[in-house]
Amino acid sequence: MQASRARLFKEYKEVQREKVADPDIQLACDDTNIFKWTALIKGPSETPYEGGVFQLAFAVPEQYPLQPPQVRFLTKIFHPNVHFKTGEICLDILKNAWSPAWTLQSVCRAIIALMAHPEPDSPLNCDSGNLLRSGDIRGFHSMARMYTRLAAMPKKG
Amino acid sequence: MKQEEEELIHNTTSSSEDSNPCPICLGPIVQDSYLDKCLHKFCYNCIVHWTKVVTSKHSYKLSSVKCPLCKMENFSVIHGFDGSSFQHYYINQNFENGGFILTKAHKYRLQCYYTEPGFVGDIFKVSRYWKSFKYLQPNCWLQSWLKREIQALIQEEDVEVIMHHILGVINSFMRRNDQYSRSRTPEAKEEEFQALISDAARPFLAARTERFVNEMELFLASGLNIEAYDAVYKQRLGWSAPGVTSETTGGLSEQRPIIPYLYIFDEDSDGTD
Repeated sequence: MQASRARLFKEYKEVQREKVADPDIQLACDDTNIFKWTALIKGPSETPYEGGVFQLAFAVPEQYPLQPPQVRFLTKIFHPNVHFKTGEICLDILKNAWSPAWTLQSVCRAIIALMAHPEPDSPLNCDSGNLLRSGDIRGFHSMARMYTRLAAMPKKG
Repeated sequence: MKQEEEELIHNTTSSSEDSNPCPICLGPIVQDSYLDKCLHKFCYNCIVHWTKVVTSKHSYKLSSVKCPLCKMENFSVIHGFDGSSFQHYYINQNFENGGFILTKAHKYRLQCYYTEPGFVGDIFKVSRYWKSFKYLQPNCWLQSWLKREIQALIQEEDVEVIMHHILGVINSFMRRNDQYSRSRTPEAKEEEFQALISDAARPFLAARTERFVNEMELFLASGLNIEAYDAVYKQRLGWSAPGVTSETTGGLSEQRPIIPYLYIFDEDSDGTD
């Protein structure tokens, strides 16, 4: 319990320092609860998510960093490894492959990498996975692009 | 633990950035510990907690843990390095049998193996032991001595099987000497004894076998109980010996580095006439 607080406090300090260094990630801690964090990440370029800003919610367990944080997308996203309704993310490092050397910041980087390189063989969003598995890259791109426009980009006019 | 955290928080608030923090707690490293293969460095508590989390997730006995940084398989945590010696925390062992950590008595026995052979040969006369047929009197402390010795050498708690195996070989040798005439020379008997025990112990003790046999002879020759024997040995080692304290708290040991080869004795006191 206390160890996780101390570690999160360290990460908080680090985030304050690094804010300028990584323009793609904005991590923020809940004002009243150090175990609740949110992040704004930019959709990677040359993907259908480019130009979008996606919000993530972190719920950090008391055993952190021995247990991984729970992360989900608050912003709707069309991606094979993200549950379309709940925003749940299928990513090995958030489950079996977790290592305490990961930080909230580096988890964000891993999620950005997942956005750029989907794994259609372990889909949480079957429609999205099937499009990619059947080789319909164009179909996948246009669906993902549409949802990026709808949910992750500021409304125009 | 508490103190460690306060230190952590204090360190962050005073904004002094440590160049090489522990990858797990991100704080300054407390009790430097290294994984044995990749040699990545962590706090002792952090890495041991992590190995416990990993091993508790598996129903079968894990003997290795992947490094949190590089994923290399590691079998133990090296810690307590004091300039001349260090300790191992073995992944499966500590989890499986509730933590066998070498006690101070075990550490002292291991230390003895780093001294010159004949280190206490001037005190405990092995040749006299054989010449005066002292081996005909059973030594009631031998079993406990053997157990501790084997535990220290192979760093496992449950050594009953090995201990009884070796003890059996010793007893049958002594009995045989009872029955047969005393026609053979003490030297020949000693040699036979050494060969028998070596054969029995080698599969378990490997390269430490010869020295183990010598140490056992010294213990037998001393005719002392373990406490008295330890006191003599420790005095020679330069340990201030307040008796055998067994501390099993896996923390820092107060073991003082001693310089092996500090005393070198003439061999003549132990030689044959």
